[in-house]
Amino acid sequence: MQTEVLDNQIRGLSIVLGALQAATGEICKSCLNLEGAKTKVGKMVKKLGMDLDAASICFEKTKADLQARIDNLSKVAEELEVAEECECQKTAGNCKLGAECFVTATIDLMKLVQ
Amino acid sequence: MAKARCGRILGEEIYIEEGDTTTLYFINQLRAYQVVLAALKALDQDICHDGCSLPSTVNKVIKRLGKLKNDLEASDVVAEEKKNLLSKVDSFLADVNKLPQDTSKTCRKSAGECVMGSGCFATGALNLIEEITEPEAPKI
Repeated sequence: MQTEVLDNQIRGLSIVLGALQAATGEICKSCLNLEGAKTKVGKMVKKLGMDLDAASICFEKTKADLQARIDNLSKVAEELEVAEECECQKTAGNCKLGAECFVTATIDLMKLVQ
Repeated sequence: MAKARCGRILGEEIYIEEGDTTTLYFINQLRAYQVVLAALKALDQDICHDGCSLPSTVNKVIKRLGKLKNDLEASDVVAEEKKNLLSKVDSFLADVNKLPQDTSKTCRKSAGECVMGSGCFATGALNLIEEITEPEAPKI
């Protein structure tokens, strides 16, 4: 995998995690969708780490820099605060914003990375 | 009338009376801006800080929050709740005003630095607002 592909993924995940952190301060903290998003984004970060390991990057400094950024993402993803018992906040009657979901849409920001 | 929980904005649990769609509209907008602003702050740490899409998005958010504030002021939301929500709009406005607003800089794609394809994180972040489909904007 090329350096720039990894870099794009890291950029995207930084933004996704920033938005998800805000969602943890919302009623989404007790929502199944955020719980699922945390798992999903955790897997994305883990895969990124594996892709970096398998990548043929010539410069050690570049690889170390990417690894440091991935480690940071991993920490942020792990620290996303989700309630122990979650249920969809729409089903619970608390989230009244329509059929869509901020958290799902936030994860979908990764689709912008081609 | 019974109050129902409908969001948490800037750390405060928000409740509304059942059926109060005008207040709910403003609450839902603020819920969305809370997430959008977090995404924009994260973008400001990215190369987008030196581009033009982030400032353009920031300017749009400032404009939209300004309109939301005007609409809220002119609405029939109960005075106490209105005051509370207006303080949250002001807080978001203060936050977003700290982000870059100079659109004269070169797009990072044009500069050859942003190589993520045709998509744009700043535009994508702003589009999170479109996740709110209910209730419709009140007629002010």
